[in-house]
Amino acid sequence: MRLLWLSALACNGNAHSLLNYPGFQEWQEDFHWLYHPLLPSRYTFPEIEKGIEGVEVLIVDGTLEEGLIKNRLPYRELLLRYGDQAERIVTVGTCATFGGIFAQGGGGRSGLHFEGDEHLKGYERFWEKTVSLPGCPVQPEVLAGTLSIIRRRDPLPLDTLHRPKYFYAYTIHDGCTRNEYFEYKIDEHHFGTLEGCMFYDHGCQGTFTHGSCNKILWNGVNSKTRAGTPCLGCTEPDFPREGLWRTPKHMGIPARMPLGVPRRAYLGLAGIAKAFRIERFTRPLMEDEGG
Amino acid sequence: MAEVRLELIEKIEGEAQVRYHYEKDHIDFAEILFLTGRGIERILEGRDPWDALAINPRVCGICGHAHLIATVRALEDCYDDLQVSAKAKQIRELTLAFEVLQNHFKWFYLTILPLLELKAPMERVLEPSRLLGEMIALLAGQYPHNSYAIPGGISGEITPVELLGVRERHQRIRKHFQESVIHVDLEQFVRCDRIETMLEREGDLPRAMQRILDWGWERLGRSHDRFIVFGSNDLFEAGKSIGTRLRRHLDLRYLQESPIQGSRARRVLYRGRSYETGPLARAMLLKTPLTREAHRRYGDSLFSRILARVCEIPRLLRYTESLIGSIDLSEPAWVDPGPLPVEAEGVGIVEAARGSLIHQVRVGEGKIQKYRIVTPTQWNLGNGSREDPGVAQAALIGLRRGDPAELVFKSFDVCSVCTTK
Repeated sequence: MRLLWLSALACNGNAHSLLNYPGFQEWQEDFHWLYHPLLPSRYTFPEIEKGIEGVEVLIVDGTLEEGLIKNRLPYRELLLRYGDQAERIVTVGTCATFGGIFAQGGGGRSGLHFEGDEHLKGYERFWEKTVSLPGCPVQPEVLAGTLSIIRRRDPLPLDTLHRPKYFYAYTIHDGCTRNEYFEYKIDEHHFGTLEGCMFYDHGCQGTFTHGSCNKILWNGVNSKTRAGTPCLGCTEPDFPREGLWRTPKHMGIPARMPLGVPRRAYLGLAGIAKAFRIERFTRPLMEDEGG
Repeated sequence: MAEVRLELIEKIEGEAQVRYHYEKDHIDFAEILFLTGRGIERILEGRDPWDALAINPRVCGICGHAHLIATVRALEDCYDDLQVSAKAKQIRELTLAFEVLQNHFKWFYLTILPLLELKAPMERVLEPSRLLGEMIALLAGQYPHNSYAIPGGISGEITPVELLGVRERHQRIRKHFQESVIHVDLEQFVRCDRIETMLEREGDLPRAMQRILDWGWERLGRSHDRFIVFGSNDLFEAGKSIGTRLRRHLDLRYLQESPIQGSRARRVLYRGRSYETGPLARAMLLKTPLTREAHRRYGDSLFSRILARVCEIPRLLRYTESLIGSIDLSEPAWVDPGPLPVEAEGVGIVEAARGSLIHQVRVGEGKIQKYRIVTPTQWNLGNGSREDPGVAQAALIGLRRGDPAELVFKSFDVCSVCTTK
């Protein structure tokens, strides 16, 4: 399958992230890069500007900006030309999907179909064929996997923002090693420890952020929350919100509830969990059970 | 006949345009232009200072970890008295060095070898890149773009299990270097001071350097022969060197940034002069034997620059090995520094893969008032005038038609996104 990767205002993190895909060599045998910002490709960028044929999937990376010119042609012209040519469009990363961090750095900046959670109409004719792969960066398994599913023409169920359900139906909370501290409402957390949950004080957005970070581990080995860093909510339209390391509170309780959980249900469960004061969760994990 | 030709340089973490001015058969002047910019410094203003730990790694997809470490150092510098355990410092040094190593492998295999028309199996770059990403992730959560370094230490805790994973992969990379890059014992290679001894060995490094010699390019790409290094640790020494004359003392007050017409990049000077930063500069400050010998023969040419960068790999491998061995896991990973002062200034300096990276923050009323980032590529690629050309410009000027201008340009390892932060 022939892929064309077009970067707008990007950091190249998505392109580098893909190189970490463990099965990259074998995966790549099924794909040809017409253009990729790092890897050997069939065409040069000026040739892409001149015009090529045969694009099957267009990969859009980076924040779009009104009037952006990368070399000679407006980026918008390239998008329209190859968007029409391609069977599918994949927005890779949060910048290309929702605008992301760089959308805050100047006017006229957005993702392909969204500015935050506002649905834009500038490329509406591409909406039906677009798949959104937000993440800052995207996990390599998510990008490689989605492209393979597209190539095999297997079904690819999407959510309302067009994120593939296979990867984004979960929350970042799923699979976190700190889950029990959340379930039993142990709200004390200190950095530099294996224990505790960052939901209560340190801004963790894992319970309401869609993604597979703790299901498909990063680099095959770890995740931010396992390493004591709060989930920053990087796959969502409002990334990056202000005060990423603090939990906004409402009457002393985190203002934002886990996905789909009514506040009353949360408070009821929290009251019960807290009443039990289970001793195991107050002890360091590496401490002897008798000690 | 004067002639102007505009060329696009691609695959440099973005792109740059070079406007070559030819006079007869040689390049008389070259202007380096970066067309896009993102405004990260502006995005930071008015935000909670800790947000910089999340946002700044996103300056760059290849050297974002250096931006994280520079950020945490700048924030910690805002405190009058702050404790960070030796363990946390060592682990941060490790993940930073792993990124530098990864960048060196990527640049050598993906950028340099193809320009020398040399082929190597893709796995030679994929394997070390992947392994080093895993090593960072074991300690920091993920790669690219983690935020595990925070004022007071690191966000999580490390057990011997993670360190074991790091050790095993370290061994594999060491083996990979000896099997693929140069077939020689690491210790021996670090002491080697003869170009011929290096060339006699098997491996992609001697193949590349021999190719440069065979094609008569070893003296191309010479610039001002002025070097600057701001960061220092157990591996690198700060200072500047003009040719081989060294000065250890540097003062950030002499750093000046200025806009460049028609480009989104800013030029940076020290006391009014441009300096080269990066592996060649670091090697000149340290007087490492093989690079010093290359410099003696060929000056600050692309030969010396490429050799200096690959020669950092074994030094970094030894450095990280000794760091891993010296970590005392019983120390705290994080010591609560208390709230960040509401009015403060801080500086964070890091030796990143491409050279010195400087972050400066001013905090007012508890928010970021001003944030300034000076990246290595600004030093190396900053545009000057005909009378006072920047480092890469000076390296391009004088090249003849048919000379490898793109290789000269890329021997600096341009990071376009860092330049147009």
